[in-house]
Amino acid sequence: MPGVFSPIANILTKLVLYTLLAGLITLAGGAWFFPNTTYATRVGVAQPQPVPFSHEHHVGGLGLDCRYCHTSVEVSANAGLPPTHTCMTCHSQIWTNAELLAPVRQSLATGTPIRWNRVNTLPDYVFFNHSIHVAKGVGCTTCHGPVDSMPLTWKGASLRMSWCLDCHRDPAPNLRPKEAVFDTGWKRTATTPSGEQLMASYHIHPGTLSDCSVCHR
Amino acid sequence: MTGPEELGWRIQGGLAGQSGRALWRSLDELSREPAVLEILRAEFPGMPDLADARVGRRRLLELMGASFALAGLSGCGPGEEVDKAIPYVTMPSGLVPGVARHFATAVTRGGYADGVLAIHQMGRPVQLEGNPDHPASLGALDPIIQASILDLYDPDRSRTVLHAGRASSTNGMVKALVDRLPALAARGGDGLRLLTGTVTSPTLARQIAALKQHFPAMQWHRWEADGRDTVRAGSVLAFGRPVDTVLHLDHAKMILTVESDFLDSAPGHLRYARDFARRRRAAEDGRPEEMSRLYAVESSPTLAGARADHRFAVRPDEVEAVVRALAAELGAGPAEWRQGAPGWLGAIARDLSANRGAALVHAGPAQPPAVHALVHAINDALGAPGQTVSHIEPVEADPVDHAQSIKGLVADMAAGRVDTLLILGANPVFTAPADLDFAAALGKVPLSVHLGTAPDETAVLCTWHVPEAHELERWGDARAFDGTVTIQQPQVQPLWGGWSPQELLAVLDGETRPDGYSIVRQSWMERLQGKGDAAELWADTLRMGVVPDSAAAPVSVSLLPGLADRLPPAATQPNGTLTALFRPDPWLRDGRYANLGWLQELPRPFTTLTWDNALLIAPATAQRLDLKNEDVVEVHTASGRLRAPVWLLPGHAPDCVTLPFGFGRRIVGRVGRDVGFDAFQLRTSGNLWQQPGVELRKTGESHRLAATQHHQMIDSPDVVRHATLDEFHQNPGFAKRKEPQQSLYPDYDYPRNAWGMAINLNACIGCNACTAACQGENNIAVVGKEEVLRNRQMHWIRIDTWYEGGAAAPEQTLFQPMTCMHCENAPCEVVCPVAATMHDADGLNVMVYNRCVGTRFCSNNCPYKVRRFNYFNYSGDDNRLSMSWNPDVSVRARGVMEKCTYCIQRIRNARIAADRENRPIRDGEVKTACQQACPAEAIVFGDLNDPDSAVSRRKASPLDYGVLTELNTRPRTTYEARLRNPNPELQEV
Repeated sequence: MPGVFSPIANILTKLVLYTLLAGLITLAGGAWFFPNTTYATRVGVAQPQPVPFSHEHHVGGLGLDCRYCHTSVEVSANAGLPPTHTCMTCHSQIWTNAELLAPVRQSLATGTPIRWNRVNTLPDYVFFNHSIHVAKGVGCTTCHGPVDSMPLTWKGASLRMSWCLDCHRDPAPNLRPKEAVFDTGWKRTATTPSGEQLMASYHIHPGTLSDCSVCHR
Repeated sequence: MTGPEELGWRIQGGLAGQSGRALWRSLDELSREPAVLEILRAEFPGMPDLADARVGRRRLLELMGASFALAGLSGCGPGEEVDKAIPYVTMPSGLVPGVARHFATAVTRGGYADGVLAIHQMGRPVQLEGNPDHPASLGALDPIIQASILDLYDPDRSRTVLHAGRASSTNGMVKALVDRLPALAARGGDGLRLLTGTVTSPTLARQIAALKQHFPAMQWHRWEADGRDTVRAGSVLAFGRPVDTVLHLDHAKMILTVESDFLDSAPGHLRYARDFARRRRAAEDGRPEEMSRLYAVESSPTLAGARADHRFAVRPDEVEAVVRALAAELGAGPAEWRQGAPGWLGAIARDLSANRGAALVHAGPAQPPAVHALVHAINDALGAPGQTVSHIEPVEADPVDHAQSIKGLVADMAAGRVDTLLILGANPVFTAPADLDFAAALGKVPLSVHLGTAPDETAVLCTWHVPEAHELERWGDARAFDGTVTIQQPQVQPLWGGWSPQELLAVLDGETRPDGYSIVRQSWMERLQGKGDAAELWADTLRMGVVPDSAAAPVSVSLLPGLADRLPPAATQPNGTLTALFRPDPWLRDGRYANLGWLQELPRPFTTLTWDNALLIAPATAQRLDLKNEDVVEVHTASGRLRAPVWLLPGHAPDCVTLPFGFGRRIVGRVGRDVGFDAFQLRTSGNLWQQPGVELRKTGESHRLAATQHHQMIDSPDVVRHATLDEFHQNPGFAKRKEPQQSLYPDYDYPRNAWGMAINLNACIGCNACTAACQGENNIAVVGKEEVLRNRQMHWIRIDTWYEGGAAAPEQTLFQPMTCMHCENAPCEVVCPVAATMHDADGLNVMVYNRCVGTRFCSNNCPYKVRRFNYFNYSGDDNRLSMSWNPDVSVRARGVMEKCTYCIQRIRNARIAADRENRPIRDGEVKTACQQACPAEAIVFGDLNDPDSAVSRRKASPLDYGVLTELNTRPRTTYEARLRNPNPELQEV
């Protein structure tokens, strides 16, 4: 009696099984790695804007302080986006006819706000507060990246929960002395107090920082 | 349910079987109804019904298969769309994005102002809190005022001027009015009429007085359906002139209330509640001799009655007899009034007169003028004026009798004597006495202009309807119960245009583009002139929310002699007949708040009804008439009939029924449509508050009522604890129980704060302000009647009502706010499969919405039944404007469990503010929303790690006890047991 399966069936079965297995592994690996790609996180991807505002020029070149525009960063959850008026404090004097700045002038003239494309976004159930991070010695560039060298702004970090928790569990490496928080060029030197010393001086208790209720409510 | 005979038997049987202090929450529980006992055991009592629904196994698998297949698609949302960040063009001065700002203003209720602070986020008000500097509020707020923020954002508000029911233009309306002016002026204003509700606004009064100069024959009519005509008439009877009476409950040791609204809705009730509660807490603070004693005589239950040490439910006609007898006992009336007085009255009279100068009597607005006049006489005999009550000039501008006023107006309208009618903020077509037929008379007025915030019954019948700017959108002023003036400042630009009454009146002055700001400012700048820098004073006044020294000065009045002869004859009720009592719904009042979902769904005190009104009747009377809950009856009176569902109310007086009005609105927004029955249909100008000779006819139909009394019932009889003052002296620790100490779980360590709450049952008056405040603060969804019937209302804090004694006259009514206890050994935490409910480092039992997968195990395991599940996307389906939600709190989606968080957003904000300054959080820095709103200061919240904090001190009280501590849950929220101060003379009776 001839066999029910031809000899090739063995090979085919194995092939199908191995292909399925490989496919599954690829899918799982993809699901694991994809969210970490810059395509998914948008880290380092410059966001086009209605006015091509350059932090590189204003911060790195002219040396404007972060707080000149982001006025509420020390007192509020929101760092604050500058109103059109802030742009016009200088641009009513210089580059008054620049084509690039036409939307700014138009905004002031018509009273319609400029609609910037958001670079850093958090889900609605996350309640992030800028002021406490600034008060506790987390520098702007620690999260936002080298802002002073960004011609168009991009996201400096993934802002994923694991990234937040890395620091909330062990803040010491990311702390700076108070006076260096807004310094975009700051680097740790031999005389800088250690992270542990800074943590003590800021009264940071990492034990409570990874509670859900710190960010979710 | 049960047949009435059987029910009656069970009520009595249930009573006979109870020994000592058995507490019950509803008649069905008292009668040990098996269905209720079943509810006690089930966490989701509504669920079995749903399982019976016709979804077979195959269909279920199909549905599940479809959702599995589609599950992956949820990841394919529009994720690539870039969010926009939109800054200001010019930043408003003082605004810090993300930081809340507070602005003082006032919101009126029946014309009387309550001071509020509007909390602004990014330039828009999102919540109201009481203004601590305002005498009527002292920082607290009632549910109605809190809901006015929802009213502001109500999408069903009026948006355009209507002419004969069609959209028209503002200019057209102004032209129609202005064109009419020369002819009116020529006639001296004859034919020009104004109709308003109760007006306390000095600016409106000034404008109307000026108009009267211009149009001497103009008439100003008033109609407030739940107004205080009887109070006014009573003072005229007693003193010969209208005066307002202000209570000083902080000085009152003996109080008798006659169906009084001093805790529910009287102008100043928030203030009164605070003063009253402070004296009720005196005993636990070690001053037992200062604890007040409260007697209540009433037909329809009031919050004051629930808090009384002795409450007497008597028929409406007997109420006046009792007051007359008391007057006679105290020498304020002829001795023959004493005849037929009930036995308990002598003891009350002796108690009151023994406390001369520290006693007061107060009657509610539903009592006839004679009762109010007698109350004045009694207070006079008790030496109350100047001590526990004071009389002031009426707060209402130009007080008149509203019933007479509207009667006169309708007669003139019907006779064609009214040519131009301005209706400012009133809805007389719905609320006016039914016998007047306001609607028909309105048809004979050639030009009628209605100003209102929403298109209502009156708006569609007037020739013009003008959208009214909400009180939070316009300039104005209003006076509080004691006369204190608040200048109302707009909190936002009018969302949909809108006029203030002041602006509309200015049109009659020939002003075609009136400006409310300058009209109101003009009233006050004159007064501020000469007192310093007027502009600065104006700014200070706005900031404070009160005009300094504007409270009315006390006036000296004396009783006119011969009161007994001047009193109108008392109403009598033949035995065996029924009287209907017309009372405002506690939340909808005269129906103006019918479109507010918060108020529709807020359980009414006593009945716990939501989304419906019902004919309230005493259990014994219902038994006699063979009626049970939810039976629909036809109510026949001399003036008409209507159909209403029945609700048996323990403690209601016999031989009378209460018909709450305010429901049954016909032209109203989406929320209030087809809700309840309209009791105004039976209310006539001669019998505004009670109608004798009522007949009830059974229809054989029934109407389901969404009462929450059987929802989330705790299965323990020992949840609410109380004792008399004597028992407390003998055994100060009566509320304590032996508690298990051991636990399998290790103890937590709280290095920083350990948040806790203490709720004082001695203070709680059961007003539901906490529930409403929580709803506003925490973005709690409204679910609708169908879902409430399924036990799915979302309130995080509820008021449980407990009774003790018989169904006819419960000796005690006890209110207990019940919310998440934040247990140390939380049963919910250990059963969550995804760790969505967790213990945090401050001891909070936190709920992580973004982790929750909706197993509902936590709710099933919660013995307090305080967890709420989003069965549907309630918040998403709500049509309220998205800008009205509190941005500090997540709006929960379908499939997520939620519950009280101790207002974690407030804790976090305080924590961040303190950490920024490297200091500990100060005691009192975090106030939960319920604590903030509570007029009686019943709720205290704070840090248990700090032995000096207010909450630690409260918890050190011997009265402190935890609920269900026998389960070793170690609740963070504890209660102080209620103390009563009964009269030893009456205890035997």
